[in-house]
Amino acid sequence: MSVKLHDLITKVRESTTTSGIREIISEECVQIRNAFRKEDTKNRPRNISKLIYIDFLGFPTDFGQVECLKLIAHTSYVCKRIGYLGLSVLLTENEEVLFMSTNIIRNDLASENKFIVALALSSLGNIGSVEMLRDLAPEVEKLLKSQTAYIRKKAALTAIRTIRFVPETVDRFVGCVKSLLSDKNHGVVVGGIQLLIEILKIEPKSISEFRKLVPGLLRMLKSLVDAGYAPEYDFEGVTDPFLQVFILRLLRILGKDSKKYSNQMIDILTQVGTSSGLNKNVENCILYESVSTILTVESPNRLRVTAINTLSKFLSGKDNNMKYVALNTLLKGVNKDSKSLKRHRKVIVKCLRDKDISIRRRALDLVFGIMNKKNVKELTQELLDCLPKAEHDFRFDITAKVCTAIEKFSPDDQWQIDTLVQVLTIGGQYIRDDVIAIMTHVTGRNQELQYYASKKLYNSLLDDRYRNQKFIQVAAWVIGEFGDILLKKSIEENESIDPSQIIDLCQIIITSSRNDDLTKYFILNTLIKLSTRIEGFNETIKEIIKPFMKHVNIEIQQRACEYFRLFEDKELLVFSFDRIPVKDDNMEKQEIETVQEDQTANENSMKNTNTQENTDQQFSPNNNQSGQGTEMNIMGGNNVVSQNKTQETSSIENLLQLDFNNNNNNQNVNKQTTNIQNQQSNQSTEDFLSDIFGTNNNPNSNNTQNVQNTKIQNVMGILGTENGMGTGRGTGMGTGMGTGTGRGMGRGMGTGMGTGMGTGMGKGMGRGMGRGNVNTQKKNPSAIIYNQDGLKIQMNFKLVSVNGIPAAMVQTIFTNSTPTPMTDLIFQVAVPKHLQVQMAPPSSKIIPANNIGKVTQTFRVIKKQNIKIKLAMMTRIQYKINGMPISKQQEVKNLPLIF
Amino acid sequence: MIKFILIVNKLGQTRLAQYYTTGLSINKRVALENEITRRCLSRKDKECSFLEFRDLKVIYRRYASLFFLVGVDEEENELGILEFIHCLVETLDRYFENVCELDLMFNIDKAYMILDEMALNGNIIETNKKNIIAPLHIIDQVSKKLK
Repeated sequence: MSVKLHDLITKVRESTTTSGIREIISEECVQIRNAFRKEDTKNRPRNISKLIYIDFLGFPTDFGQVECLKLIAHTSYVCKRIGYLGLSVLLTENEEVLFMSTNIIRNDLASENKFIVALALSSLGNIGSVEMLRDLAPEVEKLLKSQTAYIRKKAALTAIRTIRFVPETVDRFVGCVKSLLSDKNHGVVVGGIQLLIEILKIEPKSISEFRKLVPGLLRMLKSLVDAGYAPEYDFEGVTDPFLQVFILRLLRILGKDSKKYSNQMIDILTQVGTSSGLNKNVENCILYESVSTILTVESPNRLRVTAINTLSKFLSGKDNNMKYVALNTLLKGVNKDSKSLKRHRKVIVKCLRDKDISIRRRALDLVFGIMNKKNVKELTQELLDCLPKAEHDFRFDITAKVCTAIEKFSPDDQWQIDTLVQVLTIGGQYIRDDVIAIMTHVTGRNQELQYYASKKLYNSLLDDRYRNQKFIQVAAWVIGEFGDILLKKSIEENESIDPSQIIDLCQIIITSSRNDDLTKYFILNTLIKLSTRIEGFNETIKEIIKPFMKHVNIEIQQRACEYFRLFEDKELLVFSFDRIPVKDDNMEKQEIETVQEDQTANENSMKNTNTQENTDQQFSPNNNQSGQGTEMNIMGGNNVVSQNKTQETSSIENLLQLDFNNNNNNQNVNKQTTNIQNQQSNQSTEDFLSDIFGTNNNPNSNNTQNVQNTKIQNVMGILGTENGMGTGRGTGMGTGMGTGTGRGMGRGMGTGMGTGMGTGMGKGMGRGMGRGNVNTQKKNPSAIIYNQDGLKIQMNFKLVSVNGIPAAMVQTIFTNSTPTPMTDLIFQVAVPKHLQVQMAPPSSKIIPANNIGKVTQTFRVIKKQNIKIKLAMMTRIQYKINGMPISKQQEVKNLPLIF
Repeated sequence: MIKFILIVNKLGQTRLAQYYTTGLSINKRVALENEITRRCLSRKDKECSFLEFRDLKVIYRRYASLFFLVGVDEEENELGILEFIHCLVETLDRYFENVCELDLMFNIDKAYMILDEMALNGNIIETNKKNIIAPLHIIDQVSKKLK
């Protein structure tokens, strides 16, 4: 009854339509299912082969998984082979079915038939899960010492997977690796070298011990290079190129940062690195590897120059593959040899115009890599020239690089502005969002260029061709901010601009349906700022703003309403839209620290608005602007203004101290934060920002209402109305506002008022809450609820009151001590029926490795009835390490909190 | 390390697929195969054999109607992988004697065995054709005797 694989394939091939194929396959699947159900053992291998074929056609085959297990449990080799094949094709690494195969594999590893052992090893090496690998590590270790080379080489590679997934087993294999390297069989040596490379990745400390192997490796490499024709391992006249490549790769790791051992390598590297090559792929392959090694280890200058020259030979050749690898290698070795690279600049720039996208991408990276203050003008121009002709995806890459170049290497401010305007006009729609921050930074810093920039942007804005959204936004911001200067100076220079022209232009843009809502915010902001900077247009501007009070977008609507009201209080209006002060670069670093501080406080907040998060992340600028908290004050009300002002004069450091002194409850957290600060300092601010805004609890669309009305549930009982804050807390609030707004403005510039205020408020509250807790809570218990496989989970508890009913705020801190980051973190909590739990999203889904960072997630447990009980819960933690999913469930009892 | 090895025909149909530690579900694999195949097939002959795709580098080579695609991470020697593909093709050719698409389809288990002999867990292990084929010959002989 059962058809052969051969016949099935023929049948499918004869069918001309997709629906025909689908019919054949579904019919066949029914047959196979029936056979499985009837325990048709005779045809099982055949059915699995058919399923593999069906899998290739893209149809679901999961029902065959268990059958594979039955097959590998069979005694015959043929069955086992198909079974193992089925396992590796039909199953993914994450399947639970896989775990059931552990014992069968264990038996097979102990088999006397070397082919069966090899099958089991391959299977374990290809798809073994963490648990399986941990369980079977002793067996793998034993097989590494097997008599048969065939088994040894396979065991070496299975060992690689074992230590990759279960790093603590590394000690097991360190001892055996040396003997593998001196094996006679090339396959075993290849396996051994790769195992050693993996060990060194996990245990970088052991590198000095393994450096002793260098002389032996060099001898081996030399014998391969000098060997005449060796039929066994001959590849077009080269003896075992793969082994040569692996030896060179290992030497690269061992010789790095060690003068002594690098010196030993010079001779052989010179020999390999200067061999003719350039004809056959095999030769080039070794040459390429040796060049990478020369550039990585501590080799003398002349050798480096030879290596770079070899690469430039690759570059100028006709073979695109060679061009690609040359660019790639130059990119890796770029910093050390930028001098010798300079000579090859023309060739590299030429590659930017290559027809092949892979090569262009590499060239772009490299051009950026060799960029410095001296050549930035020239190279940026090259990039901009390529922009209009590039394809869609590539344009994003180019503009990103140009922007970074503008930020990093700019020789003078005027060039910076010119280039920014140029890139905005020709590629505005492909530009990343923080370009606005760069512009605000440079114009704020250099007063002489404010007129220059605003005039240039204004003139370009008049031209219809350039009206892309990003460009309009930048232009709108600059014109709004420096409108008065623009008008005044233009009169001085006899090129007077009519102010009504500017207002008209704004009106055209804001009413045009071609412009998106974000651009409209910007124009609204421009208009309100212009109203304070130019005399006599208040009524016109009011008329323009008026229709937007009914705009469909709630953000715009709110902004329009607020601005409209502001016209009633001239003084406040002028004060609110005063010029943004010049940014102080030194403040930036301190600010970052403060933000981290804030983070801890902010994590207490429970609610999260996705919309806010999105807009915020979109606008997270790389360099943060500091600013006066003026715009913020409108929201806080008049009474905060005075506090805010005084706060501005005191340095941010003070705030930090204040926090340390008072914040008992958060102290442990704070300490951790400071500890990791140093390590994290090279991380971009973007991370901090997104972290913070991930837990921002303030929906910016209606934050006015929130402050005045306690509906936001008094998350910590602090977020009350202004008069609800006592004197002690008042300071807290003020502090929060101070820093909050400073930063809020940075982003405010990006988004206009909308996010600026949302952020400011969010942070203000975060800080306010952190401070408020000092008054409400003396000591908070904490507990480590989980500590396994390098993952540590700590819970900090805090009693709060929600509408008079006591509740527990639980801050969960995840840290990871393994060398690999854990990803896709999901943490779930279940509580008994009479309790209710509310979870906030985690600060990140990735727990950084080596304890260099942490992830926090806060949740709140509320009682449904007011009875005294002990807190208990069920937790489930899921994460992926090295792509392997791990799921743990456990009951948490005996928590140090009764409420 | 190698992340996957794919053999597809010029219509984009998968003929062999082996994944190593990608953490991809079956559905995502199918999507990935479609996307990569589409991109590779649309490339011109003169363009280089490397294609960057997400965080992977795909190295491909065409032999008659079959495309051999190998996805690797940053560390791998691209030219070495090209050589590996060539070695794989030569080995298949030696075993099947003038290998063609149908040979792979009808004898998929053998094709996988050859691949397993050459690479394991994304690492290259054996490149000597004789050594690779030797176990297959032994098994073929034994199964002949059994019949």
